[in-house]
Amino acid sequence: MKHLLPCLLTALLPWGATADAARPYVNDKKAPENRKDLESIQNALTQVLDKARLATVCIELGEGSGSGVLVSEDGLVLTAAHVAGGINKDLTVVLEDGRKFKAVSLGVVADTDAAMVRITDKEKFPCIEIERENTTLLGDWVFALGHSGGYDKQRGSVVRLGRLVRMTENTIQSDCTLIGGDSGGPLFNLQGELIGIHSRVGVWMGIDMHVPIPVFLKNWEGLLKGEFIGEGPFVKKPEKGQGFLGVATEACKDGGLTVTKVGKDTPAAKADLKDGDILLKLNGTVLTTREQLQDLLKEMTEGDPLEFDALRAGQPLTFKLKLGAR
Amino acid sequence: MHAKPLLILLVLALGGHARGDQSLESTYRTTGRSVLAAFDAQRQVLQKSSAVIYDGRSEAIYGVVISADGDILTKASELKTIKQLSVTVDDKKFAAAKILAIDEQWDVAHLKIEASGLTPVTYAPTSAVAQGTWVVANGTSTRNQRRALAGIISAKIREIPTAGGGALGVTLKPDAKEVEIAAVTDKSGAKDAGLLPGDVIVALDGKKVATLEALAAMLKDRQAGTTAKLTYRRNQQESTVDVRLMARSEITNEMNGNDAMSGLFSERRSGFPRILQHDILGAKSIVGGPLLDLDGRCLGMNIARANRAESFAIPVEDLKAIAARMLKTPQN
Repeated sequence: MKHLLPCLLTALLPWGATADAARPYVNDKKAPENRKDLESIQNALTQVLDKARLATVCIELGEGSGSGVLVSEDGLVLTAAHVAGGINKDLTVVLEDGRKFKAVSLGVVADTDAAMVRITDKEKFPCIEIERENTTLLGDWVFALGHSGGYDKQRGSVVRLGRLVRMTENTIQSDCTLIGGDSGGPLFNLQGELIGIHSRVGVWMGIDMHVPIPVFLKNWEGLLKGEFIGEGPFVKKPEKGQGFLGVATEACKDGGLTVTKVGKDTPAAKADLKDGDILLKLNGTVLTTREQLQDLLKEMTEGDPLEFDALRAGQPLTFKLKLGAR
Repeated sequence: MHAKPLLILLVLALGGHARGDQSLESTYRTTGRSVLAAFDAQRQVLQKSSAVIYDGRSEAIYGVVISADGDILTKASELKTIKQLSVTVDDKKFAAAKILAIDEQWDVAHLKIEASGLTPVTYAPTSAVAQGTWVVANGTSTRNQRRALAGIISAKIREIPTAGGGALGVTLKPDAKEVEIAAVTDKSGAKDAGLLPGDVIVALDGKKVATLEALAAMLKDRQAGTTAKLTYRRNQQESTVDVRLMARSEITNEMNGNDAMSGLFSERRSGFPRILQHDILGAKSIVGGPLLDLDGRCLGMNIARANRAESFAIPVEDLKAIAARMLKTPQN
């Protein structure tokens, strides 16, 4: 991959420093009993809120809008699989201050609704710590952030307080009230550590579900490599052969394939392929016949990256594009 | 922005507990009894200084007690739908309550009951409190006992522009040469102003209106609850009337995906000059009552439940100004 930078090491090995804030004593009480207990919750929350909010982002994909959270300075974002929409999708990430960045979805865990996204623009991003030691327990006070209903600069992301009310291996439930647009947004403990990613809500109030962070940690390498993990239901597995390029070719007697036609508004046209270009290699494989190119494409699907080595009027050229949907 | 907000709504009931499941008893959840017991000091303020406004036997909305002599502020658009009005403050019931004034812009009504010796709210010095600050509001009440619900300040203080601009409550004839009314919506400003199908709109606030598009453009930036001077022609006679503008959503009942998952929400939930946002998970009837801080001081007045995750309150500075206007006493 092109975007692996040295500082990505911190993301590859996600066992960095732990947050400074201590676990508030009130978490070990069945319920807050007095003003002091309530203030300990409020003080913990207000101390970590600003940092948590700076790392909370809005993710825009086509017509849809969800949320996400930055977990590395170089732009690694955790979100929900149904927000990322699949692997290799082009997305826009909007920071709290309204700045927009180009991003691409990496891997997804389709059966638990986890996904990873990378911002491709280079910048040093605000990010938060991940909870790694499973010290967050049932009944702990937690807070949710997200761009409810879509990005709104005047409002900012919306914070909601609640408790962890149910925990299973693949889902944690809180009573922080979520709504459309919050999907993919972060759930934090009162130390400001990320413990979950918003996924879905029940029909009744007070039922709000999150993907637990251990699901991400367990699948970290696969997510980082852009793997499609699991079978769904939160995102549909792309089927092979569903990709679309939009060119007609014929074998060229000097080797390679000559482009004889480029379809209007196709991925090929958008990548600026033209009639008469000679395609020499696809992702490093030497091209010889039209059938061979078709067979190579049949093994791929929508969103897969293509790199053609080509000749135009004798000059070498490289075309990079993504397969479209058939 | 017209992005479709993503979230999956689970339509099926949750199955039984899997083995190894841990679940928190409901009394310890944020809206549970044991947690809310910690807010008894604020509940006692609600007991004395909030009003419960009934429609017949059912609790409709709440109110803020602003004087010892029975002056109460509440949400006007909800109050107007009440058929059989009565008010309870503390454990006293008042069968007679009069609507003295309405502020359309803020959607606040001034209600008066024959009372003395009530405990008005104490205003907080400022609404500029940090996000994450605890706030307390009325939860479902009983005849004699107020209940408290708690949450936090959850977003920036800001204006909520009128969704879709101000609406007159008329349907216009398409493709007509003039701006001719085809139909008048029930319970609209246009209906109240006596407009009729066939009337031709000629001017808005003295500015000539020649086309449908021109009228729409003029209304787009107008606030619900404000009034427009509408000049119309009927039987070759021109007349001018005041028409109260409504939020478009009030008239068309537009619902989006987020509304569908929100349970009840306030019909009038936009067009406020300034609001405080909180996350108290109340019923629709959470509106109208005071929003308290942990000191039991009034930070504002709940004015709309926008959706399941967002509730709006009029900030204390604006509430004090409205109260002062309504009580016709100089502002302090």
